[in-house]
Amino acid sequence: MGAEDNVPLDDKAKRMRDLLSSFYAPDPSTNNAPSNPGTLDAINTSSFDADQYMNLLIQKSNLDELLQRHVEMAAEIKNIDTDLQMLVYENYSKFISATDAIKRMKSDIVGMEANMEQLLDKIMSVQSKIQFIYDLPTRLGKCIESEAYVDAVKFYTGALPIFKAYGDSSFQDCKQASEEAISIIGKLFSDSESIQARTEAAVLLKQLDFPVDSLQVKLLEKLEQSLGDLQLKTDDIENASMESNDPKLGKVPDSVHITAHEGSIRGFAEAISAYRVIFPDSEGHLIKLAQDLVVKHFETVEQCVKGRFSCANLLVVLRTIWTDVLLMDEVLSEAVLPGFSLEAAQNALKQHVASTFNYLLHDISDALLRLNVSSKEAAEENPLQVALEASKKALLQGSMDVLLDFRQLLDDDLGLLVQLRDFVSDWVQEGFQDFFRALYDRFFLLSGRKSSSSQDQGLTAGAHGEKVLAGLVLVLSQLSVFIEQTAIPRITEEIAASFPGGGARVYENGPAFVPGVMCRIFRSAGERLLHHYINMRTQKVSTLLRKRFTTPNWVKHKEPREVHMFVDLFLQELKETTSEVKQILPQGLERKHRRSDSNGSTASSRSNQLRDDKTNRSNTHKARSQLLETHLAKLFKQKVEIFTKVERTQESVVTTAVKLCLKSLQEFVRLQTFNRSGFQQIQLDIQFLRTPLKETVEDEAAVDFLLDEVIVAASERCLDPIPLEPPILDRLIQAKLAKWKEKNPITP
Amino acid sequence: MQGGSSGIGYGLKYQARCISDVKADTDHTSFLTGTLSLREENEVHLIRLSSGGTELICEGLFSHPNEIWDLASCPFDQRIFSTVFSTGSLFDIDLPFYGLKMETGLIVFFAGEGESYGAAIWQIPELYGQLNSPQLERIASLDAHTRKINCVLWWPSGRHDKLISIDDENLFLWTLDCSKKTAQVQSKQTSGMLHYLSGGAWDPHDINAVATTCESSVQFWDLRTMKKTNAVERAHIRNANYDMKNNHILVTAEDESGIHIWDLRKPKSPVKELPGHTHWTWAVTCNPEYDGLILSAGTDSSVNLWLAPTSAEEDATSESIVESPAQQAGPLLNSYSDYEDSVYGLAWSSREPWTFASLSYDGRVVVESVKPFLSRK
Repeated sequence: MGAEDNVPLDDKAKRMRDLLSSFYAPDPSTNNAPSNPGTLDAINTSSFDADQYMNLLIQKSNLDELLQRHVEMAAEIKNIDTDLQMLVYENYSKFISATDAIKRMKSDIVGMEANMEQLLDKIMSVQSKIQFIYDLPTRLGKCIESEAYVDAVKFYTGALPIFKAYGDSSFQDCKQASEEAISIIGKLFSDSESIQARTEAAVLLKQLDFPVDSLQVKLLEKLEQSLGDLQLKTDDIENASMESNDPKLGKVPDSVHITAHEGSIRGFAEAISAYRVIFPDSEGHLIKLAQDLVVKHFETVEQCVKGRFSCANLLVVLRTIWTDVLLMDEVLSEAVLPGFSLEAAQNALKQHVASTFNYLLHDISDALLRLNVSSKEAAEENPLQVALEASKKALLQGSMDVLLDFRQLLDDDLGLLVQLRDFVSDWVQEGFQDFFRALYDRFFLLSGRKSSSSQDQGLTAGAHGEKVLAGLVLVLSQLSVFIEQTAIPRITEEIAASFPGGGARVYENGPAFVPGVMCRIFRSAGERLLHHYINMRTQKVSTLLRKRFTTPNWVKHKEPREVHMFVDLFLQELKETTSEVKQILPQGLERKHRRSDSNGSTASSRSNQLRDDKTNRSNTHKARSQLLETHLAKLFKQKVEIFTKVERTQESVVTTAVKLCLKSLQEFVRLQTFNRSGFQQIQLDIQFLRTPLKETVEDEAAVDFLLDEVIVAASERCLDPIPLEPPILDRLIQAKLAKWKEKNPITP
Repeated sequence: MQGGSSGIGYGLKYQARCISDVKADTDHTSFLTGTLSLREENEVHLIRLSSGGTELICEGLFSHPNEIWDLASCPFDQRIFSTVFSTGSLFDIDLPFYGLKMETGLIVFFAGEGESYGAAIWQIPELYGQLNSPQLERIASLDAHTRKINCVLWWPSGRHDKLISIDDENLFLWTLDCSKKTAQVQSKQTSGMLHYLSGGAWDPHDINAVATTCESSVQFWDLRTMKKTNAVERAHIRNANYDMKNNHILVTAEDESGIHIWDLRKPKSPVKELPGHTHWTWAVTCNPEYDGLILSAGTDSSVNLWLAPTSAEEDATSESIVESPAQQAGPLLNSYSDYEDSVYGLAWSSREPWTFASLSYDGRVVVESVKPFLSRK
């Protein structure tokens, strides 16, 4: 029964708990394990059946047991009752406090609802903001990628306060990432191609509170850099000119290039205007920039102009520049760009005119100097003629081209050029004036006349190398005449027709191009060069003669056996002269006429005198009478004009050369003293010369006279002037003629 | 003579090449000239311009043993002059000897194998006017030459006892003693094998400087050392003349290429060019008084008067490049062309510096005044 004693204790506690839990449990029956209704333990179950329990108890127990049971049960009931009382009491107090709490809660909850709603809202917004900050770097990245910098900056500036407040703590990473992204925009200054983008970026950066000064400087730098891109490239222009020179390609690539350029200049102009908006105090810089651009443009032009550059191309370039200038002027009128560029254009055009004429000069020189080369190769038959024609063409065609070219400048309605029209006209005229002066100097440089007059010219002449060809001088002379008679009148005509505005500017020294003066200069140049040519030719003969007369001992001369070879050399020289002259000089008209005309009186007295010599040759008396006779003859005959004016004909030039040579011959003879044989040698040589010389020259009388003079001079300087017997003279001359024909079978 | 010529003429008997101003004669305008005749007896004429300046008077006529190639009057003694002469060789056919030949007290030196050349200093006898046939007195023979003699030079500026004679190869400096009638070689210099001398000029501003002309250049010598000091490379110079007024200025005449004016401090290139003559320019001489006035004589039978002042050379040359045709016409004041033959002799009068004498080969002396052209200056 000990076991039974323990059990009621357990039972009691268990029951209390069960009671409480059944009270509170929503469904108490499920908590209890179903007990067997057939046992006595089922009293504490929910399935307890009092009748069944009584029956079972009566059946199984005796009376004692029943009585005991009764006592027990009564005690149990009493216990339970107290328990119940206690339980109710305890729970009641609890209930009371719970009711109080509920009451209080009930009153509090009414205000809370609104607060809760507020709280909810706030939490929601914070959440989205945090999300934005966290997304900002990526978003910025995306914006930059899609070049929506404006948005990017907007975002960034939006987030900026947060970063300022919490940047150092919670959003550090985000802040850094964003700043990196935004700094890309900064970099875009240098990377961006379009100026607008850059300007925008500048605006943005200003919003971003970048230091303005550095920004300004930076942007200026960028603008300056962009100038580099804007510059007209020499190559481009040259390419363009190459292409536009080719008619097949036309102007298409040109204009493409130009439009591209125009686009960028527009950008530049926009940039400038934007810049002005941002930095209102920056005009000075901008003006300088714009002017720099113009200056650079014109520098390029001047570079181009140094080369061969047609006006058409110049026009294209100028047009581009003018467009640029006008565009920039719209946004920056303070820079006075039109005026500024007008000045620059003035210089450029001036240079262009100068260089054009310089090239023309070069062309002509080249055409002339080709003579040196070709004569070395000796390929051409008439090198002088070829050279003359080439240089004539170079001159006239070149001048006409130049005029035509500049005409384009005048005809163009480009605003820039319209204002310069009068200047251009004057410059072209001036250009021609200077050109002809330069040409004149060049002629004398080429002819070797000026080579010694000044040091540097001497150097350039030295650079030309070896001696000046006589032929070249003749060509130059003819060219001078051509210039005087054809080129200058043509050019004057052309100028008058095409450049009428020239008189607008009043010169202190009269008009720019004075054809009269130029004609005079070239007329005199032509004459001087012609004389120079004759001089050069006779100089060669002079050298020959000098050698001939200074070398032998004339007082000990041996009897003449044949005509001396200097005669051959002399005639050879003459032949060369004749062939040169025939190439480019016109033929004289009255050749034959004059010969027969002047042959008579002058020469006859001379030959009579010689005949007298032959018959009357005894003593020293004779010499004296001869001298007297010479004087008398001179008194009575009309003075033979030896040094007549040279005409520009083949015959006149050759004749003059021959006359000068014979005069030199006479002078050389006068410096010597001859014995009889020496005199006879001279007589023989001169006699032989007579026929071939008369064939070549125009003024037979003068040549005859000079030949006689040589013999007279020789006889005067002879100790024993006894001429050769005519038969011997004849024989020797025939021998020489035979020999000569043998040598030159073709010569008539 | 054709109309319009102001020249005063005087005829020599024979052909002649040289005329010299008698500088030492301060009372009269006188010239000395000598004939060049191979076979006749040659003469020296002392010509004086009449006081009215209208005619030329033969003041003295002296026979000279040989044909005269050069004649120069002594600048400090009007009676003394020098000549260079040649005899030819009269005997080259008949007589096979070429040696010493005595002739009226004159020693002739034979140069080379045929022609003989000599140079001598002569004195005109004191009372020549009263003598019937006055003879020249030979003071000295410049007898050291073995080559063809070209000229004898006196120092142009005054009394100086030195003389220079130039032959083909050598330059001799003589000491002349007129009272003792001797001339001694003081020093001698050979120009070098390849340079045949043709003439020379003595610098009036520097007693020790002399210029010699040769085929390819003008050479300048210092007489103290007899060394070459300078050279102007230029071919065919026939005559050279120092400017009397301007130091360092030398004028040269060249066969074909006219007249050049040199500043010897800049010998590379001439400071001025004048066109010269149609044929050779034979002689050139600067006026002793008027700056830049130059006379030239040519074988084209003319004498040209130029005005080419070198003092204003700087602007003149720069201008000449631009206005050369105008310049061309500018310097030639006048061309005297009334000559029948080549003009070889030319001399300014130092007494009347607007007067010059010219001598053409036919023996005609013409004295002209340049006064009409001076007023143009």
